[in-house]
Amino acid sequence: MAEFRLPANSRIVKGITHAAPAGARELRQVRIYRFTPDSGENPRVDTFGLDLASCGPMVLDALIQLKATVDSSLTFRRSCREGICGSCAMNINGVNRLACTTSMKELSGDIKIYPLPHMPVVKDLVPDLTNFYAQYAAVKPWLRTRTPAPPDRERLQSKEEQERIDRPAACILCACCSTACPSYWWNSDRFLGPAALLAAYRWIIDSRDEATGERLDELEDPFRLYRCHTIMNCTDVCPKDLNPARAIAEIKKMMVERQI
Amino acid sequence: MSLTTPLRQVLGLGSAKSGVHHWWMQRLTSVALVPLTLWFVVSLVTLPGFDHATISAWMSQGLTAPLLVLLVLTMTWHSRLGVQVVIEDYVHTSGARTVSLVLVGFAHVFMAAAGVFAILKVALGRGA
Repeated sequence: MAEFRLPANSRIVKGITHAAPAGARELRQVRIYRFTPDSGENPRVDTFGLDLASCGPMVLDALIQLKATVDSSLTFRRSCREGICGSCAMNINGVNRLACTTSMKELSGDIKIYPLPHMPVVKDLVPDLTNFYAQYAAVKPWLRTRTPAPPDRERLQSKEEQERIDRPAACILCACCSTACPSYWWNSDRFLGPAALLAAYRWIIDSRDEATGERLDELEDPFRLYRCHTIMNCTDVCPKDLNPARAIAEIKKMMVERQI
Repeated sequence: MSLTTPLRQVLGLGSAKSGVHHWWMQRLTSVALVPLTLWFVVSLVTLPGFDHATISAWMSQGLTAPLLVLLVLTMTWHSRLGVQVVIEDYVHTSGARTVSLVLVGFAHVFMAAAGVFAILKVALGRGA
């Protein structure tokens, strides 16, 4: 049955408060979820006083600064710091987004940073994305054809055909959408989630792909596809402004189209 | 402890190759319920009273009984599809899920049968 409380060892306890550096001019409180599985302790929320005047503008700047100057054990993923790698996806003030493209000025009140919701936590802000990546692999995200490739050039597609996959192919697999989806929270073992379904859609509508029917066959399942109840949190939170909800709706339309 | 790969776990028992019928029927029944429910509400509101004589007279006339049967069947079918989704969403132990799905199915078929029986009884004039 549904569980309405977190397991006893996942409940959040009071954390440590780190005061702002002396002489801070523009003080902002940053509250960060901390969890170290090795310690055997419950997760806690630490409070950090941050001087915005001596820090970059983005949430990721704050995390890097706090790790460098206050607590070097603070753990998070980051790489490109410009919204293209998808590493620093986390829940900031209640919304899944990329720390590197979220300006602290846009956020009101204390800045509250948690890992992506409803995922196993490896440490602090680092969720275990094993299942998420396996779901991406499950939709076979590569070109599947029967016609041999032309010997002297690449497989061609028209400009319009390319433009159809431009947006869905821009997904950076940050997992903001899937982990914002209640259906994914309750059934991520069987529901593929918006990110994997958007990837499936990207290959279904690719003009060069010849496995459309097989791809639809593999998705036609009460759980894999039809756990989507059009909640649309996925589209709401996508940091790349993509539309996984629409992609899923289009897949559902194709399922009907091939029946009637 | 399990040493299976994450991909094997995601692939599970494979695609059920079904679900589209359920989804399509849920949409069709909801579309059908719009005119049926409107007709039902408007009919009730315009009735002069709710005493037994008025209701049985209304139910014996013209298309009332067939429309009421359609309303009951569509509503119970739509409800069964919806409750099934709720159970699949929230009941995770496979035994409990199977049992509740079967019970919910039986309950809806019973409601449909009881509803149709009641309509026919009144409409055919044996409900007094």
